[in-house]
Amino acid sequence: MTATVQRRVAAVRTPDGAQLHAVVDGVDDAPVTLVLAHGWTLAQAAWDDVADLLTPAVAEGELRLIRYDQRGHGRSTWGEAEISMDQLGEDLGTLLDQLVPTGPVVLGGHSMGGMTIMCLAAARPELFGDRVRGVVLVSTSAGDLTSDPRSAAGRMATLKPAVLNAALAGAVVVEKLRALLPPTHPRHRKMVRDLLYGADATEEMVLAGAEIMHASTVRSFVSFMPALDEHDKRENLSALTSAPVEILVGDSDKLTPRRHSRQLAEALPDAQLYEVERTGHMLPQERPRLVADAIERLLADATRDEAAA
Amino acid sequence: MTSTLETQPAAASRAAGSARQVRVAIIGSGFAGLGMAIALRRRGETDFVVLERADDVGGTWRDNTYPGAACDVQSNLYSFSFAPNPDWGRSYSEQPEIQAYLQRVARRFGVREHCVFGADVVAARWHDTARRWEVRTTAGTFLARVLISAAGALADPTYPDIPGLDTFDGTVMHSARWDASHDLIGERVAVIGTGASAIQVVPAIQPVVESVTVYQRTPAWVVPRTDHPVKPWMRRLYRFVPGLQKGIRGALYLFREFLVIGMAKRRRFLKPVQKLAQAHLHRQVRDPKLRAALTPDYTIGCKRILISNDYFPAVAAPNAELVTAGIAEVRPHSIVTTDGVERPTDTIVLATGFHVTDLPIAEKIRGRGGRSLAEVWADGMVTNRSAAVAGFPNLFLLVGPNVGVGHTSMVYMIESQVAYVDDALRTMEAEGLEVLETTPEAQDVYRQLIAEKSKGTVWLAGGCASWYLDEHGHNTTLWPDFTFRFRKLTKKLDRENYVGIPASTTGEEVAA
Repeated sequence: MTATVQRRVAAVRTPDGAQLHAVVDGVDDAPVTLVLAHGWTLAQAAWDDVADLLTPAVAEGELRLIRYDQRGHGRSTWGEAEISMDQLGEDLGTLLDQLVPTGPVVLGGHSMGGMTIMCLAAARPELFGDRVRGVVLVSTSAGDLTSDPRSAAGRMATLKPAVLNAALAGAVVVEKLRALLPPTHPRHRKMVRDLLYGADATEEMVLAGAEIMHASTVRSFVSFMPALDEHDKRENLSALTSAPVEILVGDSDKLTPRRHSRQLAEALPDAQLYEVERTGHMLPQERPRLVADAIERLLADATRDEAAA
Repeated sequence: MTSTLETQPAAASRAAGSARQVRVAIIGSGFAGLGMAIALRRRGETDFVVLERADDVGGTWRDNTYPGAACDVQSNLYSFSFAPNPDWGRSYSEQPEIQAYLQRVARRFGVREHCVFGADVVAARWHDTARRWEVRTTAGTFLARVLISAAGALADPTYPDIPGLDTFDGTVMHSARWDASHDLIGERVAVIGTGASAIQVVPAIQPVVESVTVYQRTPAWVVPRTDHPVKPWMRRLYRFVPGLQKGIRGALYLFREFLVIGMAKRRRFLKPVQKLAQAHLHRQVRDPKLRAALTPDYTIGCKRILISNDYFPAVAAPNAELVTAGIAEVRPHSIVTTDGVERPTDTIVLATGFHVTDLPIAEKIRGRGGRSLAEVWADGMVTNRSAAVAGFPNLFLLVGPNVGVGHTSMVYMIESQVAYVDDALRTMEAEGLEVLETTPEAQDVYRQLIAEKSKGTVWLAGGCASWYLDEHGHNTTLWPDFTFRFRKLTKKLDRENYVGIPASTTGEEVAA
């Protein structure tokens, strides 16, 4: 036990009464803070593989790492506000205000977490550049998620709204049905693998991801789906040009196919786009090293600027 | 005899001077001590004292004032059979209500005036020649013909041996020694332990603290708590319908006794209980990792079954964390676990239980030949019927070895014991005995009986280590059978297992 990692949990209270469960690793005077936002029906545990790779830097005091559960996900509560991607952006802003009021920040977002960052950038552009020194957008989209009926998201969109409302009303029943096919069941894992993972994903990865998703509620599936559908920040990304951005996407991503990441890269000409072979939507789990590398490049930039300033 | 005669004057002068002579001295004023005192009072005995180290009656229920402290047994059952209370506010009462009940009962039965408060027993020694117990306390010395230890098992807190705990800069408090003046609001609180106290204190403090970290060694099985306020009309019914409360008490008793079948007879009958606990956990905790960490790997009942509706939600709350890694050390402002994680901490709550298999009172009581109970019990606590020990004449134990119960009301066991001890006292009186002492043979038989009954029970075979078992792995704390069997066993004094010495003789023993 040579190097220890400081850890604390925090419940970030939002103005509308939600409590966001955050885990803060590292010392408060670390030169830079990384905040990771997870995707739809996931939880902060979806970042665990990436976080493990960053732990040495945390232990060295070079980095403070914050993982949090988005509202309605994981341990976080719902609050009063209507569910929208903009609300998630606001939540991220509240979290930064309370947990990282000063100092440079790098943000990482996977899927809906990426959209969260785009919404924060649209609502509070002044944060980007000075405070937010880098952004990693993994398997995400600036909008127009469901226009392609062949995409998984497009097919899911045909579910609404009567079906979704029925699912929500009968959540207890749906939960029971879900319990009949737990993640340990091969059929369950096959469905998850086909939808979300690339060819190289191991069974352990699929099981871990399936378990995180299985823990999410029917309510978060149903409530966030229209919010994802409405998400459109394609014309509102300018704040993200004030900070270095790295974009990663798997070539077999069915939820947010690479077309979305290419659109992002077009809108952000300075951004780096990485298309990863044989990889699906769960890129942070499937290729944690690539994500950690991108983060480390941005962290190095952020702290180099700090040292120069 | 010369040597003992030489010590006589000293003892006699003390007796004449500061020492107070009483027929019976009872140590402790919890449920057991009060129950015994009331039994004496009810049959007209007034020559007794209740030695209480604190300044009030109540024992465990006086000491455990931590937030959320409550009883795991319905109050209709967890109360004296002779003093039903139609006014319980909840089906499962919280500590203040139980403590108020005990205070009320002590006053109503006139035993409060027998209490000597601030009387912490320093040493109790049997004097063979004087045939009395010399009990030295912080409130003076007492010479008692009979000594009854009702010191209890959940009396003296255990403090864990964690490196650096004494260097901690913040507040450290045991759940049984709660400091209500210490404000936890906005603090980062660590709770060490996940037993019956922890699962009550965690949900009580979680909403007000900045964060709560629960350090868990072994998870507990938790079943739903069917707690509810008692409606005013129900209280009126209790008051005016004779026998109603008694009937409910009986039903609760019977229902709980069914658990014994699973725990002590056929372990497969515990399966549905374990299923219930599993479903409870699944319903309340969604996170698969947290769920796994909270799932015990032993059969339900092996360790005490806990009941709570708010413990799981509290450890799954946004400001809570469950830590399963062992604690490596405590630093002045943090706790470090063996996985190299350091958590800044303002206050440490030790919910680490009590000295149960190593009762501290056993070190203070010295019988014939000057040996302490603890010394005699070095290889495990042995008694006759959980109440008497060979070599310790005129000593009776309440809530001592092998009377503990995890499934039902301790008060039932206490009342059984009180009846037994009272019968012993009345026998002494009726036969004119000054000394009554059990035999080693009777102890052996009782030990065999307990061992036989414990064989195959969930406590021994359930795959866990618990505070029920002593360091040798023997069950020396629990009664391993139906509680009505204990009552039957202790209904009357087993005179044949005792040797008595009449007042008129000088040393001649009278067997039954």
